Amino acid sequence: MDFAFTREQLMFKKEVLRFAKKEIVPRVQEHDLKEAFDFESFRKMGDFGLLGLHFPTEYGGEGADVVTTVLAGEALGEAGVDGGLTLAYGAHTFLCADTLFRNGTEAQRKRYIPKLASGEWIGCMGLSEPDAGSDVASMTTTAEKRGDSYVLNGTKMWITNGPIADVAVVYAKTNLELAHAGISAFIVEKGTPGFSPGPPLIKMGVRTSQTSELVFKDCEVPAENLLGKEGEGFLYAMQTVEWDRSALLAPFVGVTTYMLKKCADYAKGRVQFGRPIGAFQAIKHKLADMRIFGEAARTLVYRIAWCKDQGRPLNHLEAAIAKLFIGDWSLAVTNDAVTLHGGYGYTHEFDVERIFRDTRLAPIGGGTSEIQKMIISKLI
Amino acid sequence: MNFDFSEKEKTFLAQVSNTMATFSKAQDLESGDLSMIRNHLTDSLAVLAPLDYLKIGLLKEGAPLSGTLALMAAMEQLSGIAPSIFLSVEMSTRLFGRILRLQEPTDDRLKIVEKLASGEVIGAVALSESAMNVENDPLATVGIREGGRIAVSGAKSYVVNGPIADWFAVVGRLDDQTAVYLIEKEAPGLTLTERIETMGYDGLAICGLGLDSVMVPENHIIGPIETSRCLDLLKLWENQILIAAALGMMKSSFEAARDYAKTHRSGGKPVIAYQEVGFKLSEMLTLYQTSQLYAYRAAWMADEDPKEAGVLTLCAKVFCTEAAESVAGKALQILSGEGYRSGGAAERAYRCAKFGQIAGISTEIARVRIGDAALGRR
Repeated sequence: MDFAFTREQLMFKKEVLRFAKKEIVPRVQEHDLKEAFDFESFRKMGDFGLLGLHFPTEYGGEGADVVTTVLAGEALGEAGVDGGLTLAYGAHTFLCADTLFRNGTEAQRKRYIPKLASGEWIGCMGLSEPDAGSDVASMTTTAEKRGDSYVLNGTKMWITNGPIADVAVVYAKTNLELAHAGISAFIVEKGTPGFSPGPPLIKMGVRTSQTSELVFKDCEVPAENLLGKEGEGFLYAMQTVEWDRSALLAPFVGVTTYMLKKCADYAKGRVQFGRPIGAFQAIKHKLADMRIFGEAARTLVYRIAWCKDQGRPLNHLEAAIAKLFIGDWSLAVTNDAVTLHGGYGYTHEFDVERIFRDTRLAPIGGGTSEIQKMIISKLI
Repeated sequence: MNFDFSEKEKTFLAQVSNTMATFSKAQDLESGDLSMIRNHLTDSLAVLAPLDYLKIGLLKEGAPLSGTLALMAAMEQLSGIAPSIFLSVEMSTRLFGRILRLQEPTDDRLKIVEKLASGEVIGAVALSESAMNVENDPLATVGIREGGRIAVSGAKSYVVNGPIADWFAVVGRLDDQTAVYLIEKEAPGLTLTERIETMGYDGLAICGLGLDSVMVPENHIIGPIETSRCLDLLKLWENQILIAAALGMMKSSFEAARDYAKTHRSGGKPVIAYQEVGFKLSEMLTLYQTSQLYAYRAAWMADEDPKEAGVLTLCAKVFCTEAAESVAGKALQILSGEGYRSGGAAERAYRCAKFGQIAGISTEIARVRIGDAALGRR
């Protein structure tokens, strides 16, 4: 057992930190308050190589391993990049582009991956529905084969990047009589007749990410837009869980480091009763709890990443544990960070307030904590 | 990066676990009077010595595994079998034993190390005093030079293995620094209090020590060492043991609750089928597995970057010892009346867990130190 990163991995993390602090973080607050997606930062992430980091170079990627990819995610959080942008990045790169790459034909890969890796196009994934969240098999969106086309009907919900996506990986039932085995995946491009995203939903946190419905009304897509094979869509959706429990959780780990530093700086500068509040034991305890959580979370995430690098199938128990732990515990420490800042922490002036709102998604998105407990209890 | 143990490590860990499980099956290692406690420990050492378990972290030659991480994993195996035996073995072997290896060990000290590794002697470390907090108050146990020897006087509390130890490592002041005095059990001037009854760890022998001008030869003095360096090191080793103890408690109480939940039926189905029970088990396993990784990483860091390991070990200590209480408490709840009966794994773990949060460095002081590190102090 060895927890060391390679020198190259650590150097790359430093580069991402430097890049994010300089190129992204200065615009975070403005975009959060406006609830606006930061297209400029997203493109810069593409130019830097982050959006296609793990894809082979011939598709515009950097050929990075999973651990390096996860380190990049942690660095974004550690730099102070908001949860909205890191969520958009996760949905784009891992839920959309990676699914296309793993299951697409060579023609599909060549058409989409370079554009997605550069950030020229933005991707999203349509899986959840208004009445089908974690219970994926109950989805009602259908894809009916008609000659050389599939006709999609239904509504997808909670789609990150929905309003701004150029391409979507959409899951729909090709056989209503089957549960999971009746689900297939399709590539749907923006502008396809019958396909329309809803307006952005107004959210408590991760406000720079744009979330909406995707509506399909007799939306006809060519048969070659079927991704992989009919009936295998659920398997493709499950493949993304590996990323969801590593790369998408990584920014939460990083943001804990960022938040701890912010809180420590504040505690050193804020004087009450004649001394910095950092001199009070209760404040030190809060800082300690942030560090304790961050260190615990880090190891869980990198275990998933390392196993993926070894080519091992996802250990669903370990994945659910990582998600449950980070989802639930991150709330407590971000709440502490707000409290530590007193009244200031409740204002937009200090970004612990944004972090608190962003982190509130952690036990909800990608499968609620309750769903993780269901998974774990079934696997015990 | 590698999250797997090697085949050699896995084989050894299984060997420790199987050997001790078979050994403990025949007797309850958590009950008994002082003579029984001594017998249990002696018998356990006799079983562990042939495995070379006692050599890990103590002797390079003949040790089946090397490195603090491997040591942590090995300790975890033992701690899951019997909490008191575990603490007794480790406080003797790994805490007392490693103190003997500090600085340039004399031949005398190395001979004791050899005996510890073969399970022939039992050691105890005497650090705590009445003030309890060695962070804020200087040690009152003091050595005064008298010719070629040192006269040591003072009082120590909560000495694990005290009533059954052959040797004591007594931590005290010397020349305004800290030294460890190596004292044999029959040394004139050394007195032991009655065994201290405790909430948990029924099978552990704890007592206080009185030292009235106990004469210690120069070659039985380790140090003087700069006080904070000495205390940091002792606390680090002690905390590593307490972390492993917490892992064992979590393992045994989780497994007891899991097995019960799968077999005990209510309303026509096993109680694990109810979310109230299944979800609790999920939370318990999450804490347990997270603690395990935490412990391994902190142990790994102890070899990789000792400076960074100090704070990381404190983090792991706080997390793991608090998780142990939480897991044991949830296990009790799942086991309901069965869990409340004395002698069960969860009930025992629930009582023992508190010790881990108090001993070594209390979780409160640990948090202060972690907070100080975040503030750039110390």
